[in-house]
Order: sequence, then structure tokens, then C-alpha cells
Amino acid sequence: MSRYELVAGLETHVELATKTKIFCGCSTEFGGEPNTHCCPVCIGLPGTLPVLNRKVVEYAVRAGLVTHCEIAGVSKMDRKNYVYPDLPKAYQISQYDMPLCKNGYIDLSNGRRIRILRIHIEEDAGKLVHSRGNTYVDYNRGGVPLIEIVTEPDFRSPEEAREYLERLQFLMRYIGVSDCRMEEGSMRCDVNISVRPAGSEALGTRAEIKNMNSLSFITKAIAYEYDRQCDLLDSGEEVVQETRRYIESDGTTEGMRGKEDAQDYRYFPEPDLVTIRISKEDVEKIRASLPEDPDARAKRWQESFGISEADSAQLLRYRRVADYFDEAAKGLKNAKAAASCILGQMFRRMETEADKEKFETRVSAENLHALLQLLDEGKVRMNLVKSTLEKMLDSGKPASDFLSAQDLEGVSPEELDRLCTQAVEQNPKAVADYLAGKEKAVKSLVGFVMKSTRGRADAQKAEALLIDKIKAQA
Amino acid sequence: MVTHEEIRAIANLAKLQVPDEELDGLTEDMNEIIAFADTIASVQVEDEAYEDVNGLSNVLREDVVQPGLSAEEVLQNARDRDENSFVVKKHA
Ligand SMILES: [Zn+2]
Repeated sequence: MSRYELVAGLETHVELATKTKIFCGCSTEFGGEPNTHCCPVCIGLPGTLPVLNRKVVEYAVRAGLVTHCEIAGVSKMDRKNYVYPDLPKAYQISQYDMPLCKNGYIDLSNGRRIRILRIHIEEDAGKLVHSRGNTYVDYNRGGVPLIEIVTEPDFRSPEEAREYLERLQFLMRYIGVSDCRMEEGSMRCDVNISVRPAGSEALGTRAEIKNMNSLSFITKAIAYEYDRQCDLLDSGEEVVQETRRYIESDGTTEGMRGKEDAQDYRYFPEPDLVTIRISKEDVEKIRASLPEDPDARAKRWQESFGISEADSAQLLRYRRVADYFDEAAKGLKNAKAAASCILGQMFRRMETEADKEKFETRVSAENLHALLQLLDEGKVRMNLVKSTLEKMLDSGKPASDFLSAQDLEGVSPEELDRLCTQAVEQNPKAVADYLAGKEKAVKSLVGFVMKSTRGRADAQKAEALLIDKIKAQA
Repeated sequence: MVTHEEIRAIANLAKLQVPDEELDGLTEDMNEIIAFADTIASVQVEDEAYEDVNGLSNVLREDVVQPGLSAEEVLQNARDRDENSFVVKKHA
């Protein structure tokens, strides 16, 4: 047990997945040649006026509801002033004292609750690339809508911060307000960190580490900063209140000189924008449009479908997959088969996280349902389901295109018996191998039966029958 | 009362250079502006509820992409550019 306790809070910027920027109709698409998604509003030309994107308000309210926030009936925008090349207007339109959402929380698996102080909307700044002593400025990202989610200093370990961020990322994706791709910068974090003697209630002097976009950097930076501050206090020195930068190459942090006197942002109400009023009815309408609570959904799958906890977490991870699964599994006795088709064969065709997130497949949920209906009715076996699904995934055609009347008849006990006898007669080497102790040799006989029935037979039954026949022969 | 130091700090934040001989005048101006703001702040209002400026609220636009400017148009007033980027030179 250390003598010092970590006290950390997070400010997370999440880019909203709207089609257009927060105050103009420019596209928010990532990438693209520099300065090709710009207009007079987002490059701050004189005489232009911003108009708030309705979707930004709706998405921020969704984010607030899913994190148990109160939604402000009255809210407004403010100007945050600072001069830097990433801001063409020399101010950022943000929210200061009247954020859209406040007083929410996210619960962690260890039972601790991380309180969310506020969620506000604001515009992103442009992208700066520093190279050869110059700064290259691209305003495509300038004006892209962000929400900033600010927690109370409730984190006591780097692992708690990681879990909170993973949960936040999951929730934002699940409700469809952001793709939260940290590597593309659509989710970024500032961390404030202080330490205090264990058992103390007072807050120590805090340092802030800015603009990190990787979960592992964030946890490493917190761990490093905790050690650094403990060492300072142990050697009788003081922690300086400052902004620090995480150095990726060696996992340390360093002070950013000259940033301190820039902290005075001189906020004032944005005169170019009007009040945002959200009625209780509007909030309820948005609440009703949210997908089923993810925890309740996982529980429902586990209890009524018998899906494992791990599999339900996998299915829930991507919203489209979760919806597809519910549609395909609805009304099936063997809903687990739907889960295994999705997580096995279908996921195998999707290489990246982004692919799974998009979940573009040629098999409609309806067609998967129809195929699994046949399994429920005992007309096909799982191995035939699998081979048929492969053909469906290749062609986009329904199961009925690949299954003949004969396929759907199944294999009668008499036919199975006949085929097993045939298998034993025609494969003397496999029989001899089996009798010599190579138990796996029976698999080739099972394969013979499955091939003869084009996958219609029950492989387990066939195996048992084959073993009986071999033993009877010996 | 605002001091010369505060005027210098504010000017610095706005990236303005203020010659020493202008400090007295600017300080006086700033004190008047603040006194004016104090007067407004001192007005007693019965209803503390937030009031909409001009009686307007919820002026919103739909999330539909509109054509913007070409990169050439965006960059036409740039003092310095490299391909499609603005270039800001590091200054001492
Ligand atoms: Zn624009």
C-alpha cells in the first residue's frame, strides 16, 4: 500500500458523427486534401454567421442520456479566446457556464462510480502539421462538432481510467453518435493528475497532460505522472501546477513552458448564436429513440437465448452486429447458432475493427433466420448450415437456392446404418489404424459418411455407429 | 481599478503591442468600460430566468452538406502557402 493516493480526472473530446460541421454545411469527412472542406463560416471570414446544426444538439443529448446526465432546459454557446493558427477566428465557440448536460456518471466493474460533471458541445480546431520549422495549416477539421465530457477527479488508478474510456467509447458507438477512433483523433483525452497522502480528503496540486489519443499512452502517462509526483513529495519538493506533454518514445511526461500565461480564455457569451432550449418532450423523444440499454440487452440474450457472457459482449460491441443478431435470432429455438454463425463464419470475413463496425454482409438477417429455421426444425444439421452459409456469403442468395428437397429430408436411420457399413467395408486401412489404437482414424470414416450424404448426416451419431461397427467386426 | 500590468497582459493575450505612452489612455478607457459593465450588472431584475437575446432561441440548421469553397478560394488571401496548406512561419 502506497503512502499516496492517485486522484485523476479526465476530459474527453469526442467528434460527433454528423455529416456536416457544427456551424456550417461543410462535410466532416476524415482525410481529403487540405482545405477542401471549408467555407467562409469555418475559415472565419468577416461578415459570416454561424448556425447551429440540429443533429449536434440531438447527439449531445443522446450522449448525455446514456451517461445518466441531466439535460439542461436552457443552454448557450460562449467564446473561448486564444490566438493560435489552428483557430481562424482567434476564438473557439464552446460552452462555458451553461453546458447541455451535467451530473451524470459511468459505473466501473469494481463498483466505483465515476461522476461526470458536464458534457458540452464545441467546434474542433484546424489541424497543424509542424515541419521544417514551419507550421502547415489545414482547416478541414476546423468546425467539426465535438462533445467534451468532463469527469470529477474520481479515478484512483490508471486501470480505472482505461475501463472508463473503453466504456465511454463503447457507449458512444452503441448510440451512434461517434465512431471514437482514437487513431484518427475522433476521441482524445486530457488528464489532470494529483496525489495526496492516503486517507486524506484534500486535493493536491495537479498537473494536466494534454491531448492523448491512445488508451495505452493514457494509462502509461497516468502511471508515470503518479510516480513522478510521489517522488517529488517524498524528496520534500512540491508539485507545480502546469500543463505537461506525454513523450511517446520513452513513456515520460515533460512540462510545456510558456503555456501558463495563455490560460486566460476570457470567455463571454457568443453574440452570433441564440439560446438553445430543449423541452422535456424533446428529451423524452430522444430517449425513446435510443437503442435498448446495452446491459439489459446482454442480460436478455444470456437469459433467454443462453448466449455466453463473452459472446454477448462480442455481439454488443458493434451496434449493427447487435441489431443484426436480434433480427436473425428472433423466434429461433437455437439462437446460439445465430451467434456462432455471426461470430465465426461472418466475422472471419471481416479483417478490421472498422469492417466489423460497418458489418457489410451479403446475407440479410432474414436469410440467416430462414436458414437457422431449418436447423430448428431438424431438417438440416449444423455442418450443412455452415457449408450453405458459406455459399450464401459468397453469392448473397438465400439458403433455398442451395438446398435441394433431398438435402432437407435428412438422413434416415436405415440410410445412416447402410452408409456406415459401407464406410467400414471400403476403408480397411482406417479400420486397422483405429483398432491399432489410432482413435483419430475414425474421423476419416465420418468424413466418408458426411461426403456421401453431402453433409446431411449427424456427425456425432455417425461416429458412434462407426465405432460400434468396427468393434463388432474385430 | 485596472493597472498598467493588466493592460499589458490583455494586450499580450490579443497579440497586440502597446507602446508605453499609450498605457495611461488605455487604462483610463478600460476603467470606464468596466464601470459601465458594473452599472449594468447592478440592475436588480425580478425574474432571474435566462432571457433570450432578441427573443430568439433554437435557430438551427439541418445536417445536410452544402457546397463550400474550392481550396483555391480558401487560400486566395494566404500570405504563404505550400500546395493546399496555409504556411505559418515560426517567428522569434
Ligand atoms: Zn464551413
